[in-house]
Amino acid sequence: MSADLETNDQAQGSEYDRLFYPYLFAGGKVSLEEVLSQVQHSTLEKCRDVIALRRATLATAREALLAAAQAMARAFAAGATLLAFGNGGSTTDAQDLVTDLLHPPVAHWRPLPAIALTNDIAVVTAVGNDVGFENIFTRQIIAFGRPGDIAVGISTSGNSLNVLQAFEQAKKQGLLTVGLAGYDGGKTRRSPAVDFCIVSPGDHIPRIQEAQATVYHALIELVQTCLAAEKGRADSDEVRR
Amino acid sequence: MPQAMPEALEAVLERRFALSTSLPATFFEHEAPRIAEACWAMARRFHQGGRLLAFGNGAWATDAQHVSVEFVHPVIVGKRALPALALTNDSATLSGLMAGGRPEMPFSEQLRVLARPQDIALGFSPDGRCPNVLAALREARQMGLLTLAMLGGDGGLLSQEAVDYRFVVPADDPFIVQEVHETLYHVLWELVHVFFEHEGLLQ
Repeated sequence: MSADLETNDQAQGSEYDRLFYPYLFAGGKVSLEEVLSQVQHSTLEKCRDVIALRRATLATAREALLAAAQAMARAFAAGATLLAFGNGGSTTDAQDLVTDLLHPPVAHWRPLPAIALTNDIAVVTAVGNDVGFENIFTRQIIAFGRPGDIAVGISTSGNSLNVLQAFEQAKKQGLLTVGLAGYDGGKTRRSPAVDFCIVSPGDHIPRIQEAQATVYHALIELVQTCLAAEKGRADSDEVRR
Repeated sequence: MPQAMPEALEAVLERRFALSTSLPATFFEHEAPRIAEACWAMARRFHQGGRLLAFGNGAWATDAQHVSVEFVHPVIVGKRALPALALTNDSATLSGLMAGGRPEMPFSEQLRVLARPQDIALGFSPDGRCPNVLAALREARQMGLLTLAMLGGDGGLLSQEAVDYRFVVPADDPFIVQEVHETLYHVLWELVHVFFEHEGLLQ
């Protein structure tokens, strides 16, 4: 297991690795044990980073989270469908949010109508090819969005053009708009078309996505808590009558 | 809807974030050595031309897709694209195989047809009891793939010996299990690349 080797030109590492893992290139020799131990070290560092980012997210966005969840619960109670969208890893987060609403992981939670705007690859490629990639979500907002529905857009940079454009269209059509963004919130935070922007103030995309997973999981749980309270009240009114 | 009990909502929010900031620390502290080993093992498979094949049910299907996009299109400029595929993307094959009503479908059959011995199989199961994920990992092992399982709860029916790397997030809350899985596959992806800088370690 101790494959000692001389570093050569090919083993000098990318600029990125030299920047982030300088210890790997400090000496002329690299052993497997050394690399494994540094990888462990990096693993723990990344874990600390995501914990810190989640704390920072809660500190910055507590009020926005609570207000957004209550507004979403009111919309669902009035019959809203949630439309979720994002690019890349944020697409899978949008799809995750949707399946957690439609098919909740907790038995007594209420299944809620939701659609991920990246599930239909025919639509995504058709619109992208014919009109441009910035329109892939906008077109579907036009097709599906009704006043009172909910649009949730996820963008780690906060600057994804197709997400920003979809918020604008959603606002025009009277949807409630909720944005999840990283860094300083980018254009999502500054957009007048976004009712609630929840910022995870980090600068590394994987950690931002992990913090955003906690954000939408919290939103779901808060929405379900609101809806359960509402149902409890309605049931007791029923009994009194 | 009337103003819903602000204290109750605050409590839900606090509990959710407390869980998401406490469990990862103990998990990664405990698993860091095996994570590093798994990165090395995955790097050697990729070096041999292997591909990552990921699968899971429900919410974890989105994780299969998420880990795949990270490898194929790395967000960090300069990292090489590596082949990774979510078995959940093909809704035609998926629904076709599941229509037969056989509980071990569809992933094991997809692997049987698609997989090559140098590939890597990554199965997600929040309780370790998804019959189709367990069947697929068995199939993958028999075919000679490197096998990784990301589980939750007590690890369920998948024993330590049944796969090469078995990671169990010791929680029943599906959200926190999934969030730790996400950090875990992000870390595997980020750190697999470290080994590519040391050709000698990939032989």
